[in-house]
Amino acid sequence: MVTEEQIEHVSKLMKIDIDDHKEYVDKVQAMIDYFDVLDSADVESEEISMQEITISNLREDKYVPFNEKLIDKLNNYKGTYVRAPKMS
Amino acid sequence: MNLKISALEFVQQVQNGNISAEDFVAKTLERIQSIDDKLHAFLFVNEKAIDQARDIDKKIKSGSKVGACFGMPISIKDNMCIKDSKTTCASKMLENFVAPYDATVITKLKEQDAVFVGKVNLDEFAMGLTTEFSAFGSSKNPWNTEYVPGGSSGGSAVSVSAFECVASLGSDTGGSVRNPASFCSVVGYKPTYGLISRYGLISYSNSIEQIGPLTRTVKDTAFMLNIISGLDPNDNTTIDNKNEDYLSGIDSGIEGKKIGIIQEMVGEGTDPTVLSATKDAISKLENLGATCEDVSLDMVKYSVAAYYTITATEAGSNLARYDNLRYGYDFSVEGYEFNSYIAKARRNFGPEVKRRMIIGGFVPSAGHAGKYFLKAIKVKSKLTREINEAFKKFDLLIAPTVPILPFKIGEKINDPVSLFLIDINTVTANLTGKPSISVPFTISNGLPIGIQLLADSMNDKLLLQAAYALEQTITLQEVPI
Repeated sequence: MVTEEQIEHVSKLMKIDIDDHKEYVDKVQAMIDYFDVLDSADVESEEISMQEITISNLREDKYVPFNEKLIDKLNNYKGTYVRAPKMS
Repeated sequence: MNLKISALEFVQQVQNGNISAEDFVAKTLERIQSIDDKLHAFLFVNEKAIDQARDIDKKIKSGSKVGACFGMPISIKDNMCIKDSKTTCASKMLENFVAPYDATVITKLKEQDAVFVGKVNLDEFAMGLTTEFSAFGSSKNPWNTEYVPGGSSGGSAVSVSAFECVASLGSDTGGSVRNPASFCSVVGYKPTYGLISRYGLISYSNSIEQIGPLTRTVKDTAFMLNIISGLDPNDNTTIDNKNEDYLSGIDSGIEGKKIGIIQEMVGEGTDPTVLSATKDAISKLENLGATCEDVSLDMVKYSVAAYYTITATEAGSNLARYDNLRYGYDFSVEGYEFNSYIAKARRNFGPEVKRRMIIGGFVPSAGHAGKYFLKAIKVKSKLTREINEAFKKFDLLIAPTVPILPFKIGEKINDPVSLFLIDINTVTANLTGKPSISVPFTISNGLPIGIQLLADSMNDKLLLQAAYALEQTITLQEVPI
């Protein structure tokens, strides 16, 4: 059962400011209820397969010059630094 | 000038000097201007498109080397970066974001002298299958403007279907190319995972999403694939296709091929009209010399739940970067504490994105991960094993692309689970990495139905040959707009 408190907790973790947590309860509940179908999947003994990517496929780690000032594209900056609010 | 031609016809006509790229692009922009108010496929139009086409004409006249696209007007889903162009993901969060670099697919198309006529609509961050979740309003289906065009690459499908461009690029995470292709009666292609670079595609669910073309014909899809596929050092999930030519031998036919009919995709929940069209398609393939038999993929029953669990989790992680500090909209940091600023700024995400972020925080969290995320990953693994087994017996698999006909705008927007279930036939290709195509097959009561074919990984060429064979058996009505 999804509760308003859970929605409030998860939205805080995900850093989303929501006014009315109640509004999300029903729809999130409906989604989670649907996901419960996974309980009947016979996958207990299933091994998880992973895609391996060899290190030789990685691009060379080198400096690529960029002619524009990316900092100019930001709304909030000071000098060459991103301007962020204070951390409490 | 006739805008209702395929990409390959366009190339041939420009090469032959029958038309100029400039005239064609100019007429295309006129068409966008005259009909897009009704359709809302485009978010932005490239005002330099005519100049760019004119430059390509000059290259042709001077005998310089010209790229394979010869100034072909293409639309791009607005979740792919084009340098110095807005890339919004149909989100208020990125409303003014201007991309500082080109996606690899864009670089490749520019090298081949494509002209981008504009960026097209999508569900916000590609999360949806109707375009109703675009922050800038829904696109309309050109076959009936009261109906959804499908999504999330709805703008791409509408623009191709309504002759507002010759081809388009979309992205397909769970059917987002094939679903709108089916709803708008165009060809939509989801390649083998890794065949097309995702560098410059704004990430939603990295482990399964792929860029794919939407075109008027299967040959056009093969043509586009020739240009945009292949290894990319900027995306280490790309695979070497040895410069495969997908156009050559496309008319090889399918005689002797074995095709499996996926039983879980033609059963309960499939609209009778869609089922009847699928049976008709199977008959046509049999008449061409293929053998069709039933095949069961038991895990398909759980695929939608697994898909949404995995994608929401990856989306939750991917969207964490939108803190409005490095990029975002104009919202001063003054007077805010760090975390509360980010949370406040992220109010600009739309309701569906917020819902998926909440799900993405919920399902992998302590106490829930074993019940949801781990099981979803196991379903993905087992489904992959099942489909690999099926491809030992069959060359191709078939199912309707979407189990239902296009529906009215607003009809399902408040019922997330009923929207989820529309993905039942498309998510399997994404979860397993297999290539899949939607071929426009018929029109029922004025609404299109597409047929989906799947092949084994890296058998994209065979898949296109089969799709071409099926396409040759049908004559479709012209879009009534």
